[in-house]
Amino acid sequence: MADFYVTIGLEVHCQLLTRTKMFCQCGTDYIGKAPNTLVCPVCMGIPGSLPVLNEKALELAIKTALAFRCEILPQVVFHRKNYFYPDLPKGYQISQYNFPVGVNGFVEFFTQGTKKRVRIKRVHVEEDAGKLIHEGLGLPPNSSGVDFNRCGIPLVEIVTEPDIHSPEEARDYLVMLRSMVRYIGASDGNMEEGSLRCDANVSVSPSPLELGTKVEVKNMNSFRSVFRALHYEIERQKRVLLEGGMVIQETRHWDEREGMTVSARGKEEAEDYRYFPDPDLLPVAIKPEDVEEIEKTLPELPLERRERFMTEYELTESEAGILTQEKDIADFFEACLREFRKPRLVCNWMLTEVLKNLNELNIDIMQSKITPGSLVELIKMVDKKEISGTIAKDILEEMFVSGGKVKEIMARKGISFITSEKELERIAREAIEKNPQSVADYLSGKEKALHFLIGQVMKMTRGQADPETVKSLLLKELSSGE
Amino acid sequence: MGEKISLEELKKVAQLAKLQFEEGELMRFFQDVNEIVAHFEKLDQLDLRDVSPTSHISWSQPPVHADDPTEWKGEEKVFQHAPVVWNRYFVVPRVVEKEER
Repeated sequence: MADFYVTIGLEVHCQLLTRTKMFCQCGTDYIGKAPNTLVCPVCMGIPGSLPVLNEKALELAIKTALAFRCEILPQVVFHRKNYFYPDLPKGYQISQYNFPVGVNGFVEFFTQGTKKRVRIKRVHVEEDAGKLIHEGLGLPPNSSGVDFNRCGIPLVEIVTEPDIHSPEEARDYLVMLRSMVRYIGASDGNMEEGSLRCDANVSVSPSPLELGTKVEVKNMNSFRSVFRALHYEIERQKRVLLEGGMVIQETRHWDEREGMTVSARGKEEAEDYRYFPDPDLLPVAIKPEDVEEIEKTLPELPLERRERFMTEYELTESEAGILTQEKDIADFFEACLREFRKPRLVCNWMLTEVLKNLNELNIDIMQSKITPGSLVELIKMVDKKEISGTIAKDILEEMFVSGGKVKEIMARKGISFITSEKELERIAREAIEKNPQSVADYLSGKEKALHFLIGQVMKMTRGQADPETVKSLLLKELSSGE
Repeated sequence: MGEKISLEELKKVAQLAKLQFEEGELMRFFQDVNEIVAHFEKLDQLDLRDVSPTSHISWSQPPVHADDPTEWKGEEKVFQHAPVVWNRYFVVPRVVEKEER
């Protein structure tokens, strides 16, 4: 089969984490709210109302543009993007056109084991549209219901240059983007809830020297659906070309259930947004000193942190990647290390037991009751062989749900505390004294007898001893008794 | 006077603006719009080589609002003006062309 060159550009919209809308002071906490409760004349487009810019939205957009290494333009201008749709009460969306917040940036991330750079064309702010529903008990036939609660919520749009060449790269870019907007507190990046949305421009060409015809793919609601939709669309375009056909420039919608993209042709051909500067909003001058102030608030970003974890804590690329993807996890890890500087040990606990418990409970680390102090206390006890790994895992599970210190949980669950090897030695000796037959069997060469003795000690300690320690203690006692 | 804007272009603009006209009205606008465009051509004679485009004539910093939510209590009034309301939704003729998330 002939070689094809795949080119992908992504446009991502993220809802900014402001408390109020972009041009009015209605609240943004719309999930689960009754329709049309977070509304006012501005966001419902009532004639005569005037927009007033939300300072915080602009600040978060600049912060995002800086994280993506953009040049910040000295002047931000708002344009009207005109189109008719019931979720857009003014008949236009306030967006940006030739003077966005930032241009010419880039982002780097790991993909398939190597570091990749994708150029960022622009970062701009705009307002979100309302929501439509088409079904509901009692909704008149052939009609839709409009809810303006989401209308006017600030979005930041991040547009790449066509530097992405496979669905895998697109997915890894999105994972990095999401991680970054969460790190800087610009957005919660939740794709399933619609606070992160992604459209893709995809083309396939038989030659690396020229681009193929671009198709826009929309309506992808999860990272997985972006991956599947791109994969499908690339194969579809290759098939068209192999059959001697031509790819048509068009918009296609991803149908999640059917697992295919469907042409939306004909519907948007009248699309002509007639952008013009919004006369209701003055251009905003962005002062270099303000940009500097915002830049100071940028935290260490995920890629830098990942690379630092690799050198400073000697973690592998993948371990450091998992630990730094979420800022709270990385912060938690480093808080543990401040109390107990054994990165390897803490990393192992984080990547296995901590993440497992978070997954099972389906919560974030900040929602769980566990603290760096209590995790470290637990790891130290296992490290000193005061409790066994198995017991520690049980205690950890309990810490996630009800919180508390290790010793409190042990008291609550009636787990006794094997303070030292001395205590275990005593128990081991007791087991030997009580089971002379097994001792004789072992000394006459029956390996199995040792396992029986280990079992006896485990029973006497109610499973709280570390079996390896018990084994070595028993061996020591048995050889000294010879 | 030569036509600056064709009748087809005018119809496209009307369609984009969701405006419908009788044939007579359309011809009247056709003439008006062409006169307006002709006037712009006259403005084009000005030498503006060293002047950057102006969209706003004020240079003051625009007002901004703080990020503190306030509640507006007038939505009931808006519902009263809406032709159809169902369960607090404004009801509009169904638009099926575009998929909704």
